[in-house]
Amino acid sequence: MSAMEKEKLESLLIDYLDGALDAVNCRIVEEELSKNYRAKKILEELKEVMSAINNTKAMQSSSSMQLKFEYSLAAEILLQQKPKQVFMKPRIYRAAAAIGFVFMIFGIGYWVNKNQQQALELANLKNEMEATKKMLMTMLDNRQSASQRVQGATIAYTISKPDNEVVNALAKAMNEDPNTNVRLAALEALTKFYQEEHVRRILIKSLSDQKDEVVQMALIQVLVKMKEKGIIKELEKISRDTQVLKAVKDEAFTGILKLS
Amino acid sequence: MTDESIMEAVKHGNLQQVSVLFERHHKPIFNFLAKMTMDRELAEDLTQNVFLRLMKYRNSYQEGKRFQSWLYQVARNVFSDHYQMNKNKYSKSMDVEKLKDSIEEKNETLDQTEREILLHKSMARLANEDRELLVLTRFEQMKYEEVAAIMETTVANIKVKVHRAIAKLREHYFELEKIN
Repeated sequence: MSAMEKEKLESLLIDYLDGALDAVNCRIVEEELSKNYRAKKILEELKEVMSAINNTKAMQSSSSMQLKFEYSLAAEILLQQKPKQVFMKPRIYRAAAAIGFVFMIFGIGYWVNKNQQQALELANLKNEMEATKKMLMTMLDNRQSASQRVQGATIAYTISKPDNEVVNALAKAMNEDPNTNVRLAALEALTKFYQEEHVRRILIKSLSDQKDEVVQMALIQVLVKMKEKGIIKELEKISRDTQVLKAVKDEAFTGILKLS
Repeated sequence: MTDESIMEAVKHGNLQQVSVLFERHHKPIFNFLAKMTMDRELAEDLTQNVFLRLMKYRNSYQEGKRFQSWLYQVARNVFSDHYQMNKNKYSKSMDVEKLKDSIEEKNETLDQTEREILLHKSMARLANEDRELLVLTRFEQMKYEEVAAIMETTVANIKVKVHRAIAKLREHYFELEKIN
């Protein structure tokens, strides 16, 4: 049997099993089946594969997927209606971070009471911070899951003084991550370290580099709240730019008024 | 209300209506992506991305176009973008390990579970285009006309490709059965 004949035969057999053949072709197939052992074997195999497909039940997604979607939808609607409040929205992340932080403090407190040796205490604390940092970096680097990256940025809340590696990873997430929620979470984490000179510089620089309008508005709110007068020129530039969304321009204009 | 009229409302700014579309379509989209990626957790993330993209690019929806076809086009693009970004990982291995738990929990007998794992292993051996065609026509049970609309091609072309894909699947299935 040539390859062409085999392909044609198998195609007819598939139609035969699907009940898609007319009476004439049905008879041709049945005659072939009665005299061709190979055709009969292919038919049996096709039956088994199709039966395996038909017996496959649909998979169920987890309930958290629905919750995550509802959160994203609420954020999107809020963004459309009240752009100025968007930055305040990820309260759930703040709450999660606060709970995480409280647990960590309790953990450390318990450990201190139990162990009086200061050297050991410091070594353990250092290890814990290293583990936290490692977890944060791994989660931030998870290209496949935006929710994991958001959680990674949230973990930064549990770090009292971040090193350059953490700050740079958060800055990269804030400026380059394809997901707005991740960028916002990274911005919020960086805001916590605003007192650090290099973090302040990163935030100011991002104002002109930022491509995501939602994050740009949130950035303006943060920098205005910190009374960063050095951004007035950039805000003026944004408020004059015809390519910029009206909501962003409004935010920039409000910022200028507050800082002037 | 039809999907199309809801989508038109979304396009005109009524974003709350996206939740109705999510409720109606997230399960088949999730199943499509789970079979394409062979990874349940990843499929959940990508499903989320499909509906986020629907909101983001709502203005690109052409009024009068069948919503389901457009949604699957979005889902195909989401998968394709993900695949391009992780090409090296997929070329090295595509297994069903990340689906095993889900397969085991929904099947009642060991034989059913083994058959389904064998089937998914065979599906994993197919090229993306073949796997996609089988997921849509055989697992999601879409008509050739619907798939032709999604892929913007003719019904005859889809039928030929689906038959070739089934033939390849059959060969992989019985090859793997021999090894097992």
